[in-house]
Amino acid sequence: MRQEKNGKRRTKRYQRERDRKRKQIRLAVSAGIIVVSLFLLEKLLVPKYVDGVVEGAFVQEYYDQEKDFDVIFVGDCEVYENFSPITLWENYGINSYIRGSAEQYIWQSYYMLEDTLRYETPDVVIFNVQSMQFDTSQSEAYNRMTLEGMRWSPSKIKAIMASMKPEEKFLDYVFPILRYHTRWSQLTKEDVEYMFRKKQVSHNGYYMRVDVKPAENVPEGRVLKDYSFGENAWKYLDMMRRICEEKGIQLILIKAPSLYPYWYEEWEEQIVDYADQYDLDYINFLTLVDEIGIDYSRDTYDAGLHMNLSGAEKLSDYLGQYLIEQSGLSDRRKEKELCKIWEEKTASYEKEKQDQYQYYGMEEEN
Amino acid sequence: MKKKLAGMITVGMLCICMAAGCTGNSAGDRPAGGKAETEKKEDKTAETEDKEETEDSEKKTGGYLFKSGQIEIAVDQNMAEIADQLGEPDSYYEEPSCAAQGIAKIYTYPGFEIETYPDGDKDLIACVVLKDDSVATPEGVDLSMTKEDILKIYGSEYEESGKGMVYEKDGTKLCFIMEGDDIASIEYNSPVLN
Repeated sequence: MRQEKNGKRRTKRYQRERDRKRKQIRLAVSAGIIVVSLFLLEKLLVPKYVDGVVEGAFVQEYYDQEKDFDVIFVGDCEVYENFSPITLWENYGINSYIRGSAEQYIWQSYYMLEDTLRYETPDVVIFNVQSMQFDTSQSEAYNRMTLEGMRWSPSKIKAIMASMKPEEKFLDYVFPILRYHTRWSQLTKEDVEYMFRKKQVSHNGYYMRVDVKPAENVPEGRVLKDYSFGENAWKYLDMMRRICEEKGIQLILIKAPSLYPYWYEEWEEQIVDYADQYDLDYINFLTLVDEIGIDYSRDTYDAGLHMNLSGAEKLSDYLGQYLIEQSGLSDRRKEKELCKIWEEKTASYEKEKQDQYQYYGMEEEN
Repeated sequence: MKKKLAGMITVGMLCICMAAGCTGNSAGDRPAGGKAETEKKEDKTAETEDKEETEDSEKKTGGYLFKSGQIEIAVDQNMAEIADQLGEPDSYYEEPSCAAQGIAKIYTYPGFEIETYPDGDKDLIACVVLKDDSVATPEGVDLSMTKEDILKIYGSEYEESGKGMVYEKDGTKLCFIMEGDDIASIEYNSPVLN
């Protein structure tokens, strides 16, 4: 009798245990399905930046590279549209990469550099000073195009915190689906095609345009109430200089030869003074256009804001010579492995060049 | 069991979507998304969901106005409304923003310049800049005058900002940028430039 009772109790206990386990499994499976669904949704909804607006894809492309660069550029469109790393390689054997992004603010440039230093220590860092004009972030769209592509690290977190506008939320950067859920109506076939794969859209960070729009009627700069760069901008320039000093990197400040937005004489003086004070090289390419041979009727694709391919190649040729002569960089075209990597890059560059000439109905100039 | 699972998933998705709905529309400018055609780069990619706000802002004319002849020009006004009345500009320049976030346009007319900002498919006036003393504010201040003249006409209730004396009316900022006691520039600025 007692044995029978004990047996029934054991059976009940066993059944309860089995039910509990089943519940746990169901819960785990359900949670798993929800997580996977959200992951897939996020993959679908986040912008892919593979056609049209490709600038948002630049930052993440760096992580796929063999990281042994001699020169790293940081800055806004004035670096990624005006300098061609392919020319620097082909003409001088300089291995370079542009970690630029649309309207990259100086605090983002600093953290982009800090992020880069997690992987490598280049000999030279080149920073374009146009972004000194901003003391706070101007646009969430630009923030996202720079920050979303960064890999998660303390540098990325600090970059987000330094960049967010008051109405932005940190959580939206952690879970981009919170920000992009309204993209349902804008989805294209590229959003599906590139859910799990990437398309290379830059050439070591360089954004190629071969078309021509001559610079005409470029307005003069408006009179400003205050020409002083802001405290925040100076703070990050100091940080950039210090981190370069600590790592033994040569920091070169440049002003690309973009005619607009206007580069004021008062801004120039502040940068010249800073460079003098800390013994930094500063190259204002606006003062060198004749020497470089830039022709604003042929070398720009948007009326003087940025160089087109011919302008970028001229500018890069000049910079390459400077880097070899003044910064002591050496020609690495004898390194077989590196040459193999650059062969592929150059082929892709040439292919896009030809595709664009065909697209714009142009013929390549020799 | 399948029904329960489906139910739980649905509830989970709804919760997430509700959370997303709560946080998604907070930013004033929209993040950019990919576009299909390269030649459409000049199109604004960050589609505005706040069209109603846009239409309201176009009607704001309670602030300071600039007058060119009989044509009244207000900041945040649709440029298309006045471009025809003003006639052919002396020069015109387009400043496409990086990554196709819109095109700022600069129209230069005799004595003054108008700069626009993109808002959806419209170009609204961001600022009007008086370039020489052939034009004046409707209240009578031009570039040949001094700080004393400004104070006489506009009073002493202004905000100092760098070298600027800024008068504000209904969001429009009338800004006199000074070089000592002389006026270096006169601008009508939209609140979008803040």
